[in-house]
Amino acid sequence: MKHGFYPKLAMTGISKNRKTYIPYILTCIGMVMMYYIVSFLSVNDSVRDLRGGNEMQMILQMGCGVIGFFSLVFLFYTNSFLMRRRKKEFGLYNILGMGKWNLARILFFECLIIAVIALAAGLFCGIMFSKIAELVMIHILQGEVNFSFSIDFSVIVQTVSVFCLIFLLIFLNALRQIRLANPVELLRSETVGEKPPRVNWVFALLGLIILAGAYYLAVSIKDPMSALIWFFVAVIMVIIATYLLFIAGSVALCRILQKNKRYYYKTNHFVSVSSMVYRMKRNGAGLASICILSTMVLVMLSSTVCLYLGTEDSMRNRYPRNIVIDTFSVEDQSVETVHQAISDTLQQYHVSEKDLLHYRYLDVGGYFQEDQVIFDQNSLSGWELADTENIRQLFVVPLEDYNRLMGKEETLAENEVMIYNTKGSEYLYDTITLQGGGTWNVKKVIPDFVDNGTDAMQIISTLYLFVPDLEAMEQIFDAQAEIYGDNRSYKHDYYGFDLSCDDETQLLLTGTLRESIQQLGEDEAFPKVTVEGVAEERTGFYALYGGLFFLGVLLGIVFILGAVLIMYYKQITEGYEDQKRFEILQKVGMTKKEIKKSVNSQVLTVFFLPLIAAGVHVGFAFPLIHKLLALFSLTNTWLLIGITVGSYLLFALFYVVVYLITSKSYYGIVSRKES
Amino acid sequence: MPLLEVSNLKKIYTTRFGGNQVQALRNVNFSVEKGEYVAIMGESGSGKTTLLNILAALDKPTGGTVLLDGRDLSKIKESDVATFRRDNLGFVFQDFNLLDTFSLQDNIFLPLVLEGKAFKEMRQRLLPIASQLGISDLLSKYPYEVSGGQKQRAAVARALITDPRLILADEPTGALDSKSTDELLRLFSEINQDGQTILMVTHSVKAASHAQRVLFIKDGEVFHQIYRGNSTNEQLYQKISDTLTILATGGDRQ
Repeated sequence: MKHGFYPKLAMTGISKNRKTYIPYILTCIGMVMMYYIVSFLSVNDSVRDLRGGNEMQMILQMGCGVIGFFSLVFLFYTNSFLMRRRKKEFGLYNILGMGKWNLARILFFECLIIAVIALAAGLFCGIMFSKIAELVMIHILQGEVNFSFSIDFSVIVQTVSVFCLIFLLIFLNALRQIRLANPVELLRSETVGEKPPRVNWVFALLGLIILAGAYYLAVSIKDPMSALIWFFVAVIMVIIATYLLFIAGSVALCRILQKNKRYYYKTNHFVSVSSMVYRMKRNGAGLASICILSTMVLVMLSSTVCLYLGTEDSMRNRYPRNIVIDTFSVEDQSVETVHQAISDTLQQYHVSEKDLLHYRYLDVGGYFQEDQVIFDQNSLSGWELADTENIRQLFVVPLEDYNRLMGKEETLAENEVMIYNTKGSEYLYDTITLQGGGTWNVKKVIPDFVDNGTDAMQIISTLYLFVPDLEAMEQIFDAQAEIYGDNRSYKHDYYGFDLSCDDETQLLLTGTLRESIQQLGEDEAFPKVTVEGVAEERTGFYALYGGLFFLGVLLGIVFILGAVLIMYYKQITEGYEDQKRFEILQKVGMTKKEIKKSVNSQVLTVFFLPLIAAGVHVGFAFPLIHKLLALFSLTNTWLLIGITVGSYLLFALFYVVVYLITSKSYYGIVSRKES
Repeated sequence: MPLLEVSNLKKIYTTRFGGNQVQALRNVNFSVEKGEYVAIMGESGSGKTTLLNILAALDKPTGGTVLLDGRDLSKIKESDVATFRRDNLGFVFQDFNLLDTFSLQDNIFLPLVLEGKAFKEMRQRLLPIASQLGISDLLSKYPYEVSGGQKQRAAVARALITDPRLILADEPTGALDSKSTDELLRLFSEINQDGQTILMVTHSVKAASHAQRVLFIKDGEVFHQIYRGNSTNEQLYQKISDTLTILATGGDRQ
């Protein structure tokens, strides 16, 4: 056969189907571009040299894998859609005398052409945009900007090989579809009458129950630790329930409506409801996927944006003061020495401390069993220990320090304590009995106390116990020390303050302070002292949260690309299927206006159902997300609400734009045959 | 006054880029009285379908008038056309045009639902028609579950249920086997005897031989017509065949 015959046929094939192929090729280009950018940043030298760059690159490498995997799944799905649409064309070729081998060659060239276009354009765009992405990244990490431009050939090779593999798999899948069909089937594949969908009541009901369960789980969980564990369970339940409800539940709902004769036999409902059954049967899975993708985008965007914007907040939670010195003792002499070292250092730098936060406390972990706190883990079963909600931290603080910090004048009798709970936990009993540490009457539960970094850092919640005096604290210390032995906790002298100088000076100051305190520690008997400076931690925080933010936005874009493409194809398929129906309705005497109205209401329902469902999902996920973010020391609820609502609105806006664009091509198809 | 009066009807199609003009209908004149059963015959390309589309108000003529009950179709406002069609005309198509998303019953109800009738009334109207057409047991079935003949009977029921002035049938036997064809033609005659006016476009001699009058269209004009008179179906069949032979062998009007 003549040279260049197959490539030519392949080219015509693509250009004849450009309505469906152009979005596909654009998506391929987008995926290649994203993959290149992310993997470029994950090995880029100027990013690695930044402070926090290493952590960032680890997060990015993970994202790279996610994008690769998603591209595979997604392009696979779209391509099988394209193949379905073209079965008729291939059937015709087959009847005109082309064997499967010839068809395979056409398909091969089509795949090759698309792969070449996608890789060339995708890499080109990727290289163009990689510099911008790099600058954004450097900005996030608060580093120095340099304007050199670099291309990484190893990344290009990696991108090309990953996508060649993906295209190869797609090609093999297309071959499989061609091989399976015989020509008559190929020709007729689109005109076979469809059976009316049967309602699967079991699945519909199961979907409802699972969804209700997942929602209940999401709303009822109290502490962040269980939130972390149950989050994934809830996510999986929601995914299953969404698929079940979209596939079976929607059909069931339509059937119920059809049973109601009064509702069903109305001009406005008659055509819409009966076509919706078929629409949902065909599109249920696709719509559920869109819904889940949208939910993922929303959760990811709102939580990562919130983390990033709330970085300063969470740093303040984790490090309540610019510099915190924690001495593992309350002995006057050691504490005095440490305090002296601090004031010497401050003087040396000509700065003074502000917002002093100084108190003594004892921290000890325990298992809360009703009004008992048990220190001895051996007396507990593994099952009980797995119940994370009951394992809490106990901070014992003398009343004297509480009054001084809060400016109060509370008094406590000998056996009385006051209680403060963190992280939304509760204590509901009138007395509290510490194992070996006596029973105390709870005088009252107070609404707030100063932040403590140790509490913010931990997943479990803390119960502050304000005891009458230092002696009471010693008593509890002795009780736990006896049980825990070598694992005993320490009494602490917590000394934190803010500084008005900039980060650079703070960095130096923290260094000097640490050195001078280390010298004190050369004496064996001297207690352990830790020095934490927020200036040192800031870049680390930004690297982690900024990295997550950056990745969240990138993955958000990729997922949105996916959702848009699914929506577009959905509309196109529907358009071809509705064309015939549109004609018949018109012949039977429906006005164009009526038809348009009915079609419009169906299309709107199909289109916006996922968005609404995603909104509900996110709404119920909110309490869980809120608790999970608490693990990252982020507790600003209003920030989270604002950002979640904001991203939903932004997403909805984007969705509407996509709807307007795709519905235009839908009406184009539907009304082409209008007579 | 005739029920349908077609006078000097012309239709000229212009190809898309304004080049060639095709005259589909040259000068068509005929009328249909109430209660008549008229078949229009002609070969492919003779203008049958164009004529039917104009009668159905799906297409506008280039010249001439179509009066239904004295009302000029081309004067009906665009927005009222669909309602007019629904109220006055019943359609039977070659390819049935049933919606596969509806059961047969719902397909038949469709025009009534569009009129906003109550379910009870629709049901009352349906029962006699369904039993006459022999589809009472099939009403809850879906189009894909029944045979072509049964689909066509459902389509006839849909055309009849609005009690239209005129039924327009476009090659109603075109997609049916001979047994279903006989059955359908018998039904048409029966319906006609009940007083229903039918206008059928066909190129099947057999189908046309059941009508009371046969019009022949050639090159966009009514070329000839045959009245049944007292002929049996077989005799009319013979006459139609003869006429078609003359038409085919180039007998011009002389």
